[in-house]
Amino acid sequence: MRAAILPTDTMSAENSRQHLSPPVLRIKAVRKLYRELEAIRNVSLDVAACEFVSVLGPSGCGKSTLLMMVAGLIDKTDGEILINGTPVTGPRPEVGVVFQQPVLLPWRTVLDNVLFPIELLRLPRAKYVQRAMELLAMAKIDDFAHRLPRQLSGGMRQRASICRALIHDPSILLMDEPFSALDAITRDEMGVELLRIWQANRKTVIFVTHSIREAAFLSDRVLVMGRRPATIIEEMTIDLPRPRHIAMMEEEQFNQHVRKLRKAIEASHV
Amino acid sequence: MSKLFNKIRIFIIELGWPIGISLAMLVLWEIAVRELGIRSIILPPPSEIIDAMIQRHELLLAHLWPSLYLTVLGFALSVVGGMAVAVLITYSSILRKGFYPIIVVSQVVPKIAIAPLFIVWFGTGTMSSLLLAFLIAFFPMTINSALGFQSIDEDIHRMARTFMGTRGQIFWKIRMPNAMPYIFSGMKISITLAIIGVIVSEFVASQEGIGYLIKLAGGLLDTPLMMAAITVLSISGLALYGLIVLAEQRTVYWQTPTDMSGGAGG
Repeated sequence: MRAAILPTDTMSAENSRQHLSPPVLRIKAVRKLYRELEAIRNVSLDVAACEFVSVLGPSGCGKSTLLMMVAGLIDKTDGEILINGTPVTGPRPEVGVVFQQPVLLPWRTVLDNVLFPIELLRLPRAKYVQRAMELLAMAKIDDFAHRLPRQLSGGMRQRASICRALIHDPSILLMDEPFSALDAITRDEMGVELLRIWQANRKTVIFVTHSIREAAFLSDRVLVMGRRPATIIEEMTIDLPRPRHIAMMEEEQFNQHVRKLRKAIEASHV
Repeated sequence: MSKLFNKIRIFIIELGWPIGISLAMLVLWEIAVRELGIRSIILPPPSEIIDAMIQRHELLLAHLWPSLYLTVLGFALSVVGGMAVAVLITYSSILRKGFYPIIVVSQVVPKIAIAPLFIVWFGTGTMSSLLLAFLIAFFPMTINSALGFQSIDEDIHRMARTFMGTRGQIFWKIRMPNAMPYIFSGMKISITLAIIGVIVSEFVASQEGIGYLIKLAGGLLDTPLMMAAITVLSISGLALYGLIVLAEQRTVYWQTPTDMSGGAGG
């Protein structure tokens, strides 16, 4: 199944994606102006079903803005964003978002937080309780389903927020530096957990990060964004085998990717 | 069982000292008044105040009920009215810009001073008392509720929008619970102010109520009755305040760390 995403034949990655399945997400020549300030310039990007794509760039380069435009929370100035072939005009039910902070509601239990989108979307709650429990079990926090967020650690809260983003079974998961508030050790663990959840759920993931190692470890493809005006300056396919383990971060193949990505970022600073 | 014992232990530690010191002061008071031969018109000993409370409980209660009734009613109106105005302030930028400064500035006006004016407008009696209680309790309710409705985290708002939350849903499921701690702070201020409003109004012009009784007893130089009335009033005020604290602990359960023992570690 992953052949569609990681081409092993002679075809270019671009061709294979277009031939085998239409892109789930298509961003065409998108531009964003804040008054006269150009935040994003000419970003184009196709993402195939079940692909894990990272957008890597320095802090404040506009990569989060791009993600929020895909989520339908920010208007674009020019260009087109299509999800499953239809233009994005606002938030949509086939998108789930994980933010930098867990943003759980402190008065709701973990389970009720996970079910929050179901309430907002006016879906029958009873039907989704079992799914919520399954997601929590997958994130290994089902024992805490009836606890309040303040009783959980930072990593557990962020796992709960990932479960919340997945509850209504969106086809696209948008993640805005979701692990940047966590300590380094928890962060690596969360990466592995995320890949496990992703492999069990088969979602398309757009993952925004400023960590080169994180992008290389998680992704099928990494897009490097330069500073303002932000635009994609480098695209790199990460052909490390899956499933990936933390030990892979020590391997030469992984480090080669990291070096190449770092060079691309450094080149953009000139 | 152990949990109950723990609660009792905390209760004794927390309240033991203030209660002990209060009792000691009462004993000191009793002894001082008797030994120094101070007349009961100037300062009755605690025993005499308690005696007055027991002997004349019918009179005290007869005057306490109307005051309590007006206090609670004025308070309830201020809660409903204050929250309603807070919602308007939250959602209408014109109202926010126009009214909010007026509300804040009007805080400076000592509303007690308006009491005689209310008597002119609404006559002596319940209406004046009720309105004064409402007016004086209304402002802290409005300001606190408005603060609560408006202080939602931008990230939470954004999260709700990505899941296509409507304005109504965001109000009832996010703004309202988020405002509860603020609303309760407002209530705690308002209930004490509502009592003041009713008592002052009864001082100015009324034929019943605990404020009227205090003034009447003062005129008759019946100091034990006066102090008995003040005591009864204080106990009632404390009880009303306690009820709100109790409701707060039930409602704002997520802020009181009562169940930390079972919490998760790092």
